[in-house]
Amino acid sequence: MAEISEDAPPPPAAAAADAGVQGEAAPTRRSTKPGRKRLFLTFSVLLSFLSGLPFFLKSTEIHRSPLPFESIDALSRRLQFDPPSLPCHFRAVFLRSGADRTLAARLQSAIAADMGRRAGNRLSCGGCGRGFAVSVTVDSGEECVSDDGGVAGSCLWTCGAVSLDGSGEDDSAVDELLDSVMRGAGGKECVDAGGGRVYTVVVMEKEDVESVRVVVGKHRHAWIVGKVSETDTVSIISKVFVKYFMNGGKEGRGMEKGIGEFVPVGADGTVVLSFSLLNADPSDWVYDWEFQEMSKIMLAPVAKALTPIANISIESQVLYHTPKSSNSYWDEKYGGYIFSLRDLPFFVNSNEWHLDTSVTAAGRSKVLQFVVYVPSAIECPLLLQLPNGEISKTNSFISPMWGGIVIWNPPQCTGDSQKKHLEGSTLPPQELEKIFQVFIAQLRMLFGLTSNYIDSSETEISKFLDSERGFTDWELDVLFRHHACFNLHSCVNTLESLAKLVQSLPRMIVMDEIGKQVKYSLEAASLAQMNASLGIYDASAASSRKAKALAEDAFFHPSIMSISYSSIEHYFAIYMPFFAPVSLHVLLAAIKELKRYKREKAKYMAFAADQARSS
Amino acid sequence: MAVLRHSAAFPFLLLLALLICIPALVSGVWLNDDGGGVEEEGEQFSEELFLKPLPDRKVLAHFHFQSTVPPSAANGRHHHLFPKAIAQLVQKFQIKELELSFTQGRWNYESWGGSDPISSTNAKPPGVELWALFDLPVMEIDATWKDLTHALSGLFCASINFLESSTSYFAPSWAFRSNVSNLRYGALPREAVCTENLTPWLKLLPCRDKAGLASLLDRPSIYKGYYHSQRLQLTSTKSTGIVLKQTLTVVLKPDVQRNSAHSSLDKSIQPSWSVSSMFKKNVTGLCVPAKTSRIFFELETNMVVELEKLGYGDSWSNSIFDLSPNPVRVFKESNPLPGRSNSIIYEFINYSEHEPLDLGMKWKLPFIWSCSQAPFHVSRFLMGSGNERGSIAISLQSTESNKEFLAKSHGCNVQVLIFQVVPWYVKVYYHTLQVFIDGKPQSVSDVIEKIQVSPSEDKLFPGTLELMLRYPCSVQSVALTLDFDKGFLHIDEYPPDANQGFDIPSALVTFPNFHSSRSYVEDNFSINSPLLLKFQEKNVVRSYTEALLVPLTTPDFSMPYNVITFTCTVLALFFGSLLNVLRRRVGEEERLLNSKGNTTRIRLIPLLLSKFSSKLKGRTDGTPKSSSLLGSKFLLILVAVLAVLWHYISN
Repeated sequence: MAEISEDAPPPPAAAAADAGVQGEAAPTRRSTKPGRKRLFLTFSVLLSFLSGLPFFLKSTEIHRSPLPFESIDALSRRLQFDPPSLPCHFRAVFLRSGADRTLAARLQSAIAADMGRRAGNRLSCGGCGRGFAVSVTVDSGEECVSDDGGVAGSCLWTCGAVSLDGSGEDDSAVDELLDSVMRGAGGKECVDAGGGRVYTVVVMEKEDVESVRVVVGKHRHAWIVGKVSETDTVSIISKVFVKYFMNGGKEGRGMEKGIGEFVPVGADGTVVLSFSLLNADPSDWVYDWEFQEMSKIMLAPVAKALTPIANISIESQVLYHTPKSSNSYWDEKYGGYIFSLRDLPFFVNSNEWHLDTSVTAAGRSKVLQFVVYVPSAIECPLLLQLPNGEISKTNSFISPMWGGIVIWNPPQCTGDSQKKHLEGSTLPPQELEKIFQVFIAQLRMLFGLTSNYIDSSETEISKFLDSERGFTDWELDVLFRHHACFNLHSCVNTLESLAKLVQSLPRMIVMDEIGKQVKYSLEAASLAQMNASLGIYDASAASSRKAKALAEDAFFHPSIMSISYSSIEHYFAIYMPFFAPVSLHVLLAAIKELKRYKREKAKYMAFAADQARSS
Repeated sequence: MAVLRHSAAFPFLLLLALLICIPALVSGVWLNDDGGGVEEEGEQFSEELFLKPLPDRKVLAHFHFQSTVPPSAANGRHHHLFPKAIAQLVQKFQIKELELSFTQGRWNYESWGGSDPISSTNAKPPGVELWALFDLPVMEIDATWKDLTHALSGLFCASINFLESSTSYFAPSWAFRSNVSNLRYGALPREAVCTENLTPWLKLLPCRDKAGLASLLDRPSIYKGYYHSQRLQLTSTKSTGIVLKQTLTVVLKPDVQRNSAHSSLDKSIQPSWSVSSMFKKNVTGLCVPAKTSRIFFELETNMVVELEKLGYGDSWSNSIFDLSPNPVRVFKESNPLPGRSNSIIYEFINYSEHEPLDLGMKWKLPFIWSCSQAPFHVSRFLMGSGNERGSIAISLQSTESNKEFLAKSHGCNVQVLIFQVVPWYVKVYYHTLQVFIDGKPQSVSDVIEKIQVSPSEDKLFPGTLELMLRYPCSVQSVALTLDFDKGFLHIDEYPPDANQGFDIPSALVTFPNFHSSRSYVEDNFSINSPLLLKFQEKNVVRSYTEALLVPLTTPDFSMPYNVITFTCTVLALFFGSLLNVLRRRVGEEERLLNSKGNTTRIRLIPLLLSKFSSKLKGRTDGTPKSSSLLGSKFLLILVAVLAVLWHYISN
């Protein structure tokens, strides 16, 4: 207390002097310097509070791993303006005698121009990009004249490697012959050049053949046999290149985003094909199937062919008491029950068809259901009607991203209905084979390809060779490109959503692991882009898949879902009761002290001035 | 036990019985599907229903569905009848055996039986019980168990995933199964069981509840029952493939159909029932994929004994009751002790698609019997009060059903295995174990043959007690007590509705000397019914005790926030006043006050306040007396007004 009382008019002499002057000068003058002790005290408290503030904020801070928002934005912008595309090389080979030096150059420019017109200006996701290389070789047997359009690195045809004179009409033999040539020395060279895939059209001019045959093989080539005019040749070649080899037989709308969007592959790159045989009413008849044997023959090669795109596993089951959920009506004309297209969305009965996801499809992988529906006796034969009134030939339909359904009418439903088939019977193998062919066609459609080119295409192309694997090489290439592109797009979409979410919730905890996953995902995405521009198909597909999986992992990280979000109100409610009164005290004290000090100092200054004047 | 109360009808009944005593095995020969040549290939499914009248006017219905798949490389991928999901589960988690049960209600061991195969293998503790035996190295088992609980909770729409944490499951070493290290056991006593668990269970059957015996499962009637236990049992071996047994045990009370003519008798006659009246549904059609579909009806041993006393033997239609369709076959339990009657099983086959098999039992005269009891009746209860400590007691009361056992040898002993899991927050002091035999304290080492205790560790492991008792057969009652302290949980660990209390899972009591197996004699055919084959398995008698509810101290859950605000306010007050004291200039204030009192106009409230404070300080200054008087009067009025206002507002 002694200390405190020291400041204000302490010395008795001074006090007396003060008292002496007080009568007239006390409010405006003082003779001693104002003390600074209390000022210093209050300000030190205030300063210590202020200096403690950063530590306090730091200690109550929510841990948020810094996410690279700029890189995410940059990647998304880059993808938008320059969709990743894998380079392709197109090569036309003319087998003709009597080469003419300028022919190759002329044809090259004509084909390139036509292709440019067909491909259009818009860059499609999963296309061949802007700079596809076109080269033309005229092979006269002894010497070759080539023109690669000035694009370096395109690989050339090895001269005189093949002559198609001897081969007859056996298309698959020709196909194999060409394939062996492509896979030979020339093919290797091209792979080494690192320029992506090479597609070839071989034109074989035969004077004696009237009709023109255009055959698209099951590898990466097509051939034209017969006498065609130069302009027709150019148009056919560029059509084969652009429509089939580049775009997988699809044209026009919907190609900008690519077919990859609809590729039913789970985020972890696996697909489960689940096959179910549904006996709608087992009291009428019960069918079983020899699934395993048939699947070994027909499905295993398909699954193997699709391995680069997805990891496919196959499962099967037989279910009973599974009626469809919509009704059909009897039609005398077709002698069957008609199920019209209008009702198709109600065919799948999700209440009764417990197709069930499988344990292997846990997580974010995708299940495609393929269903054989055996109708009950009261709705047999069941026929699907197309919108134009005709009956569907395959009696089947697909549901995008879900799977496909085939209706199989048992033979005894048209005959008299004796009910002696209670004992289980099996689907006859030839019927099962037909059903499997439909399934493979449905799988092609689910993957975004057309089931059959002959129906849709015009007459120019005479034949498409089918692969026993369900997908030809060039179709797989198309899927590959689209898939890689789509993976990158979906990766960026996911990362952008994550960034938006994190930014919109400022008090959400972001674990370090999420930051790491985002970082790796971005790295993988840029690696995929780099590989794509270099034309390394499989590496770019692999890293794009990895990028997507990592982005999904980050977005679906359990901590984002589970950790309770502590709001800013909560924060205030906890710290207010202490800090509001304390800071009020400290601030008021500081302000008061400062004011007083100023006032007192003014008094003293006035006194000092008086002193100076008087002396 | 007296059986017939109305002896007036007795001679007539005897006559009837003579007429009816025809060999019961006539029918059933024409059925050819149970004959010898059973095809072993392929996946198989069979469905069976077992019915049994219970002494307390209820009826036991036990559904048994069995699917088998032979060992094959395609298991888990390609299936025809067997549920794919289960096969994949077995493959993924390398399960050797698994049992999952959902139970509602408590099996009444006293009146529904304690030593027959149904009660010893199908009576389950309330809630969920799961145990699994893995075919894996010991290191991987815990991780696999966690994955398994998640998979099962997804499959059955139940919170089985709560068994994931190491505090809720345990690896019993010998009291549950003898000497296995790769077994895990967990129980959730509080899990509610309802249709959302039954529907996924039915999905595993090929016909679900669309056809066959499962079509009887009308949800309202089965959930109205007194006991409901839905079970899934898996066994998988390299040689036999996977066997999936799905059983549903319900105890229902048939509606009493009032018969006006015999209203006086009605009260004592057991209610007549039929399958359709009990389940409010009929068996609709056949489940075509099922290999067999049959219903069994059992007259239990004591019932047959009582019937034989009256001279009715094994007839299914006598003056006491009638079974409505004639059974196809009759199985008699072969007698371990010759000269004694035994239980009889009647078999009915569901073969017609259009005619529902409506098995009914019509009681005509009152009839009383008792069920077969377990050797000891087991119960468990809590002792003590308060929120600090208590003790658990397990008591075993002899049911007199081991009389013949007693008679056999004089120095016989009874063995009892007790398996008890206690959550960590109930801290059991195992050294306080006390044993009372016939009410007298006994030294522990005399009675206990083997004991294994693994004490609980806070927030890590539950405590378990495995105990083997051995005592003479003549003992009437045994009681064990254990003291415990109630622990405190962290505020995050309390479940919602913590005030309800915490459950201690049921203890399992096993009697290894007593077996519940039965063997049946049947003339021409070998028994190929999965249910009867299961009855013939040699199972020890087991009973589960009640689940206990321990109330723990529950905190006021808003307390942390209250504490924060309260301490903060106190600190702020302290800090503020300290700061004020530090920067105060007492002398100057006084001077200022004096000068102001002389010169400036006095504002009312500051004046009052300063007066008040100076008064409190007990100082008097130079202000005139009159103004002080005025001030104090005013203050008084102010206080009075405030008090009136406060009173007014608070009312």
